[in-house]
Amino acid sequence: MSGLLNIRQLTKHFGGLLAVDRLDLVIPEKSIVSVIGPNGAGKTTLFNCITGFYDIDSGEMEFAGELLNGLTPDAVVRLGIARTYQNIRSFPNMSAVENVLVGMHSHLHTGALSAALHLPGAVREESEALGKALSLLEYVGLKGKADTLARNMPYGEQRRLEIARALASQPRLILLDEPTAGMNPRETSETTSLVKRLRDDLGITVLLIEHDMRVVMGISERVTVLDYGVKISEGTPQEVQHDRRVVEAYLGRGAAAGLESPATA
Amino acid sequence: MIASDVRQGLRSGMLLAIVVVFLFLIGATTTIADIFANALKQDRGVSLQAVLGLLALWAGSQAAKVSLDEKRPSWPRTLLRAGVAGLSSGLVIGLTLLLTLRLHEQGINLRTYLYQLSPASLDLWSLGRSPIAAALFHVLLPLVGCLVGAVLARGFRDAPWRGPASRRMSAVREAITRPLANAARTRWGRILLYAALGTLLLLLPLRLNNYWNFTLGTVGIYVLMGLGLNVVVGLAGLLDLGYVVFFAVGSYTIGLLTAPTPHNLMWDFWIVLPIAVLLAAIIGVLLGVPVLRLRGDYLAIVTLGFGEIIRVLLKAEALASFSNGPRGIPSIAQPTLVGLPFGSDRDFMYMIILSVMLVIFLTNRLQNSRVGRAWIAIREDETVARAMGINTLTSKLLAFGIGAAFAGLGGVLFASRSQFTGPDDFNLMVSINVLAVVIVGGMGSIPGVIAGAFVLKGLPEVLRELDAYRILSFGALLVAMMVLRPEGLIPSTRRRLEMQEARAAESPPATPVAPVGRGGAA
Repeated sequence: MSGLLNIRQLTKHFGGLLAVDRLDLVIPEKSIVSVIGPNGAGKTTLFNCITGFYDIDSGEMEFAGELLNGLTPDAVVRLGIARTYQNIRSFPNMSAVENVLVGMHSHLHTGALSAALHLPGAVREESEALGKALSLLEYVGLKGKADTLARNMPYGEQRRLEIARALASQPRLILLDEPTAGMNPRETSETTSLVKRLRDDLGITVLLIEHDMRVVMGISERVTVLDYGVKISEGTPQEVQHDRRVVEAYLGRGAAAGLESPATA
Repeated sequence: MIASDVRQGLRSGMLLAIVVVFLFLIGATTTIADIFANALKQDRGVSLQAVLGLLALWAGSQAAKVSLDEKRPSWPRTLLRAGVAGLSSGLVIGLTLLLTLRLHEQGINLRTYLYQLSPASLDLWSLGRSPIAAALFHVLLPLVGCLVGAVLARGFRDAPWRGPASRRMSAVREAITRPLANAARTRWGRILLYAALGTLLLLLPLRLNNYWNFTLGTVGIYVLMGLGLNVVVGLAGLLDLGYVVFFAVGSYTIGLLTAPTPHNLMWDFWIVLPIAVLLAAIIGVLLGVPVLRLRGDYLAIVTLGFGEIIRVLLKAEALASFSNGPRGIPSIAQPTLVGLPFGSDRDFMYMIILSVMLVIFLTNRLQNSRVGRAWIAIREDETVARAMGINTLTSKLLAFGIGAAFAGLGGVLFASRSQFTGPDDFNLMVSINVLAVVIVGGMGSIPGVIAGAFVLKGLPEVLRELDAYRILSFGALLVAMMVLRPEGLIPSTRRRLEMQEARAAESPPATPVAPVGRGGAA
């Protein structure tokens, strides 16, 4: 089976530590796939390998027919993969709309000369980009916040701003690293429905790292479980939920033996 | 309770004592007293006492300060704090004075150790009385000053008219700035404002004499360089400590190509001007290629090295046949305008004003474009900027090149105006000064850089009487700025884009723009 993103035998070491170990992963087009696992399981490392932040040791990553191996982060973005970060990394001293405009960078063409001379092409491109950026902010629920500096925004809004910034690069695949971390229940459910809409309205494939099991079980079609860099389980949320190895990884061997149905947190 | 009051009093008192004793030992008080004496038409003794009294008032108000987490202390406790501050500082000052005066009386030449501590200065402090009497006076002065200062500070804080007064003040400020801001928002208002500003700048050099045209011209050259470095440090966040390199490239290009020695090329000023600016930009990019892979402190150290290398190279006798070595290049050409000489300090003032306006125009447009946003994104988070598809290397090189071009322009004007340039014009202090202009003014802020250049380059000219203490006051200013206003005199703000878009939407020809992807707004 071949999906939008196909990963074969991906391996990444940090010195003696095996962070990702011969991982196979297929992300079908227009699906929502979650990666879960205990802390240190290698989930974020996987994201960093896909987006070109890390050089991988061996294996193959192929996206829409193109090999990702060895590409730099800016090249990966241009192919159509965008991401958000586990710890918020919006540009703090830029306004919200400027953050989104930076996300559009690779689709805009104005150079220093045309910007300095205010050539008609540059002016038109800038005002179109501004319009798009504002409608993206509205889309993620940040209407009216365009001129707020990112550092002055509350936590939940900054996370949604990061999603808007990622969308600005017009991705086919978006990698969300714990999009609901630190959110209250209301913000979590808003974000969950936003992620769903990304796929349903915009047709964007979503790969998700998430610790909140309600979110994972609620929106993902397939779930992959990592532990110490190894894939220990894969399947629909229901299948994974009842997998003995998953319970062992999360709660320990003893708990798995004593429990009929695994915990959901 | 009382212990904490004493502690706060001691803290303010020691601060006052350190300041006063320091100023006394380095002889700065004589200079300050002179300035006050000139300004107030009083004799020096009275002036010195006035200055010391003001310092004591300030210390008293510090002692009476209430921190946010404590209740307002009772009047006796406020007076206790002020009393402790005044007495402790008075004792330190008085004892120091007593000791110095006694040593002086015994014929020990204090100037062997403290060069500025002249007998005239000691006379000024002793008020023509005996050492004991003078010391007693200097114990009493801070004590009274601190008490009065504390009472005034507390009275001012509790004054019933204070709220309404500050509201009236802000209303007045609003009444002045609001119409201006509104005018700046309409097209014709903007044109009118620019026209007024332009006329003012055009007339200004005519009203100034040569000295002021020269001084303000120097400030203008620093504004030029500050704006250039602002692109590199303020926008792109690259700490460049060797900015003087590009200033030197500009100066030496105009020098070597237009002067009779060492090459006798004698080209025309106007031909060399663009060549020099372009060359500076190219050197900027070339230097950038190897160093811009470094981040932060490492970049600062390497650029610092380049800055020194250029000076040493220009000074080298081995290269004297090319650059004239330590002797420098005399008789650099000055511009002509339609055949007439155009080289007076006033003419250069015009060229500098024009250059500054051009550079402001360029940086203003760049910083609000895709290019400028890429720079700021690199400054904020280089890794994420790369992940947004920004080619960080070319972006940084562009910032380096543009910054270098502005410095090159500054160098051309500087060398041509004084008709001479030499290696000693390009020491480390130039880089440091320009960096200080950017930081004191406000990183990334164009009005800030202008204000910074006026404060750091203009004020020292105005305060020439403080000449011996110029570096000292420079340092004090920097420290004070970092404590009181770390974001700079005029901090940068991001342009408000939402409002602008809303206005654009109101005008008929604007078409609604479809959102990215096939979905619409939710």
